[in-house]
Amino acid sequence: MSYLGKTLRSILAGALAITAVATASFAQDRPSIVSFNGPAGEAYIGRFIKGIKDTAELKGFDIQVFENQFNQAEQDQQVQQVLAAGVLPDVFIWWPSDAVAGLGSLRALSRTGVPVLKINQLPNDQDRQYIFGYAGPDDRLRARNAGYMMREAAAAKKAAGGEGFNVLVLSYPHSYGGYGLSINAFQEAIAGSDLTIIGDVDEGFGQANGYSGAAKAIASLRDEGIHFVYGMDDAILTGGIRALEEAGYVMGEDVIAVGTVCNGDKQLIEEGKQFGTTLQSPLHEGQLAIKMVEEYLETGELENYINFTPNPAVTATNMETVALRGFDGKLYGIDELCSGAWGG
Amino acid sequence: MTDVSASTGNTPNLVQRIRRDYSPLVIGMVGLFLLVFVAGAAFTDDFLTWFNVKTIIRDAALVGIMAIGLTFVTLSGNFFLLSMKEIAALSIICFATLMSADWNQWGPVDADPTTWSLFMTFLVAFVATMIIATIAGALQGALIGLGGNPIVVTLGAAGLFFGIGSWWSDNLVISYRRPHGAEWLGTGSFIGDIPNITVAFVIIAVVAELVLRYTTFGRQVYLVGANRAAGRATGHENFGMAIKCCIIASVCAAFVAVAFSGQVSSAHVNYFSSEFGSSGDMTIMVIAIVMVGGNSIMGGYGSTLRTSLGAIFISSIDNMMVLNGFNSGARVLAVGLMIVFSIIVFALVRRGSRAVE
Repeated sequence: MSYLGKTLRSILAGALAITAVATASFAQDRPSIVSFNGPAGEAYIGRFIKGIKDTAELKGFDIQVFENQFNQAEQDQQVQQVLAAGVLPDVFIWWPSDAVAGLGSLRALSRTGVPVLKINQLPNDQDRQYIFGYAGPDDRLRARNAGYMMREAAAAKKAAGGEGFNVLVLSYPHSYGGYGLSINAFQEAIAGSDLTIIGDVDEGFGQANGYSGAAKAIASLRDEGIHFVYGMDDAILTGGIRALEEAGYVMGEDVIAVGTVCNGDKQLIEEGKQFGTTLQSPLHEGQLAIKMVEEYLETGELENYINFTPNPAVTATNMETVALRGFDGKLYGIDELCSGAWGG
Repeated sequence: MTDVSASTGNTPNLVQRIRRDYSPLVIGMVGLFLLVFVAGAAFTDDFLTWFNVKTIIRDAALVGIMAIGLTFVTLSGNFFLLSMKEIAALSIICFATLMSADWNQWGPVDADPTTWSLFMTFLVAFVATMIIATIAGALQGALIGLGGNPIVVTLGAAGLFFGIGSWWSDNLVISYRRPHGAEWLGTGSFIGDIPNITVAFVIIAVVAELVLRYTTFGRQVYLVGANRAAGRATGHENFGMAIKCCIIASVCAAFVAVAFSGQVSSAHVNYFSSEFGSSGDMTIMVIAIVMVGGNSIMGGYGSTLRTSLGAIFISSIDNMMVLNGFNSGARVLAVGLMIVFSIIVFALVRRGSRAVE
């Protein structure tokens, strides 16, 4: 057989295999879900996937998860493969790698007539027509809660004799969608207080970039004075705290740090180096997504189009008692809900 | 090579000695680097302060150490290891797992850990991590040495190492509590307020350069990289060279993983995929540094000194832009332009310079 013949036969065999797997997966008489999301190798998404899989199993759904490596082109290809297989699920769960670039794939999913639930990234004007609802975090609420926590800490510091506090913000990249929502909500929350933002560094995601961004900001702002630091998530903030400590600041005394998401380092809160954070649980987010799917399949619509996960504040005083009841009925403690170096 | 002192009959002055001892490439690079510093000092507040200089070098340290290791691979004519961040990922998982393992906690269970017990925990985790990195490097080096395409081999190895790390850690963050035996490397400082990782970067850069310049092994690296046939004719096969160089690169990647884990007291298989630099990919960042350093992608030309300066140069540009209030988009653009500019300039300079140093 020629090389071309072998290649064509391999492609055909591959397509048949995908179809067979998909057919076998959805062969049982149970509602089926296909979820498109990022990689399990990312800590937050890994816990999210655990949340949707466990809850889907509990609720009697079949679920297939397609992971992309934060790559919209790869996700688009996965959508085409699923559609080409011709075996459609009862619901699609859509976590776009890039909400704007992925609009074409979302439209293609919607045109099959299968309802689509968008998760993690708030709907925009363009994609609202293709989805039946949203389930996920509220960037604004957790940023606002962080602002309120910082106000509380500033009030205590003022009562102890201080005044006029400078805030360094360790941001997501400014091009990232969550940045605008977070910074606006945070600014609203601290408006009218003694807190003034003097620096906003967007080095990137994660602890290493948080460290690097903070170190540079300290070089330019230390003469002005840094009294508070707000991390748009705890991973970034954890790196920032390391940089501040290396620069000679005593965390909790010279500088008070407030973060969000709960994906950093629990020990920093225990030691008083981080004042607090606001919880955003990936496990809960996954469970919420399945709950919304269940509600839609039962009633044909959602009671609320937008459905947020709760974002309670977490500080050293309530850290051991904060708990959320999952949509599987179980009560989860903070170590199970958070996604960073917690429980270690 | 022209001996300036012989032609003039006088003891050469500083400029003459620089021209005699260094190629135009090194002179150009150092000149450009100095120019950046002068411009930075002139137009940027707080740029040329001791604190900020420390920040720049500290910022360059982790990627710089990794790039120094990779330079050996490139100089030996084996292109790049596209698995650098995956080796680091596997290493950090190994290290953190052993740092947090109950069986690796030395000393009494109910008492505070002693310095000795912390050190023993660190030592066991460190040695095991380095052994794994050595195996990872040797495996890739052997396949490349046997004639495998370095790009294909290391891409495959990247998937293998990341997969093992992902499976081993179950994709979870592995954390261990402070105090621990890696703090001295991650956040400590023995010499004044200079972070130990900065000191480690400088020491590794100096040792690597001395090895390349003054040891038989270093000469062999250049020989095999510049002309594989000549190397074979003189008994220096690429098989052994590829293994040695890949082990050096892997061990450097593992050392960076240990240092970073010591800094954040945790590990996750994805730390090196999304957290370093605005591009977010440590392998790409490391390759960029090797290229900015003016090392020949075909091997036989370059040095780890240039790589180290390349790391500091990129860090300086990024630092200066942050101090001037640029956000990440503009900084990515500027660093990208610098990389392209450097590659073009060095390629032009190289046309007229020596083939092997």
